[in-house]
Amino acid sequence: MILSTNYLSKASVLILSGFFFFSVVANAKEIKTGTAPFSDTKFRIAIFPVENLSGTVAPLKEIRQALTEKLSKQGFQVLGEENLEKFMAKHRIRYVAGLDREIARAFKEEIGIEGVLITSLEFYSETNPPKVALTSRLISTGEAPSILWIDGIGLAGDDSPGILGLGLIEDPKALLEKAMKSMTDSLMRYLLTGRNEGDGRGAKKKFKPKVAYRSPELDPERKYVVAVLPFFNRSERKYAGEILVLHFIRELRRFNNFDVIEPGILRQELLGLRVIMEDGVSLANADAIFSTLNPDVILSGKVIDYQDYQGVWGKPKVDFFTLFIERKSREIVWNSSSYNEGDEGVFFFDRGRVNTAYVMASQMVKWIGKSVAK
Amino acid sequence: MRVGKILRRLKTLIYASIILLTACATTSDTYIDPNMDFGGIKTVAVMPFTSLTRDPVIAERVRDVFINKLLSTGAVYVLPTGEVARGVARTEIQNPSAPSSEEIVKLTGIIKVQAIITGVVREYGEVRSGTTSANIISLGLQMIETETGKIVWTASSTKGGISLWDRLFGGGGQPMNVITEKAVNDLINKLFK
Repeated sequence: MILSTNYLSKASVLILSGFFFFSVVANAKEIKTGTAPFSDTKFRIAIFPVENLSGTVAPLKEIRQALTEKLSKQGFQVLGEENLEKFMAKHRIRYVAGLDREIARAFKEEIGIEGVLITSLEFYSETNPPKVALTSRLISTGEAPSILWIDGIGLAGDDSPGILGLGLIEDPKALLEKAMKSMTDSLMRYLLTGRNEGDGRGAKKKFKPKVAYRSPELDPERKYVVAVLPFFNRSERKYAGEILVLHFIRELRRFNNFDVIEPGILRQELLGLRVIMEDGVSLANADAIFSTLNPDVILSGKVIDYQDYQGVWGKPKVDFFTLFIERKSREIVWNSSSYNEGDEGVFFFDRGRVNTAYVMASQMVKWIGKSVAK
Repeated sequence: MRVGKILRRLKTLIYASIILLTACATTSDTYIDPNMDFGGIKTVAVMPFTSLTRDPVIAERVRDVFINKLLSTGAVYVLPTGEVARGVARTEIQNPSAPSSEEIVKLTGIIKVQAIITGVVREYGEVRSGTTSANIISLGLQMIETETGKIVWTASSTKGGISLWDRLFGGGGQPMNVITEKAVNDLINKLFK
């Protein structure tokens, strides 16, 4: 009513324009004051070959190429493929899912690389409707490598079919392009403004853990350094343990209460300590990790089920247990069981349906982060 | 003559009462040691469960659900499964699902617990009857005091199965996760009652 030209008085025009002007100025100020550590575009990045956790043949080279092109277009200096291969051959790097201390130091000292981008492809299906899920993270190099940015995306061609199916994406390339655009936009936002993606809010209630124990020892005001150990995989899905670890790293970083140790460093320490976990983390193992990496909390768990589906018919299923062991008390401070299916709470016209295990697992993990941090 | 009639009727009444009372009797599937002070149990270790089903992972899953539920009661602290596995490996227990009294005493020297819990998953999965099917779980647990190696509590629970509703209208029963939680809740209620 107030915006109708017939009723628009001078006073309301002034109030509205004042409001818009104020919001624009406030926004601009926010961007200005945001730390933009890499906006000078002298930031040198190496992009590791894409880690394939999908268990199928996937366009890994194309994904890496898209990332390289986007970053180069923005003026960032991306290490060429030939130089990267030479460096990897020299240091005998075969593990591309993480960055340990030695390699991080070598990247910085030998070739002046300041960040390494690691991408993991969780799921890829070309069967109509296509599906794709991936996670990327940027790790700093030098003496103390840490995760600077992490984000991920899970998309299905029929996520938003719209009226008469006009929103359906049937071309797997188009879907991959959409996913890549979202990822690179998020990375660029971080590189140019220094802001990380989202926060821990917005998880749907149906994804909260079905059974949970939270110790009163957990302090909501405290910031915990978390070491995420590989999850035991009891599911039929290959690499489900590694996938869950990535979900936890990504979602826990959205909360101010957690600082996550780069999994590459953790892996190096576990290999160095010769830790073999047969049926979960023992207190002896936990003590060894606490003393070498200095985390406040060790997170581990077990994946019972992690299912995606191909084509139209089916539903994703995710089922896992989570366990947090705290350093000071040497006790379990969080233990939960989470399981969900993609069609839970869906009654009319597939509204609220989840098409990828990625989206479901993200929400389930977000709930855990929220419950631990509260 | 009249007294005899009354006596005969009284006899019949007594027999009928006995039959009726017998029908009302229940058999308990729970044993609780009357001399045991359960308040003294602060930490327990849950040993790997025995699986009498085809899939050994099922026992692991049911054990995890039980540990989770037991911890969430806040009444006792449950040792991490990795720590129990370390204790089992160090004491070289041949069958961790059913340790002997000596093995339990030895195990307590490494993992400091007041009691251990062992369990058997007797049935888990789908049962069929004609065209109807439903999920079922049958689980038995026992608690052993570590100091003496004595069984102080045993209980069992069966949940799910084909109901009259399933027979009449189909539906396939409840999801496996739900009936597992129900059985575990039932057992925990029996432990704390």
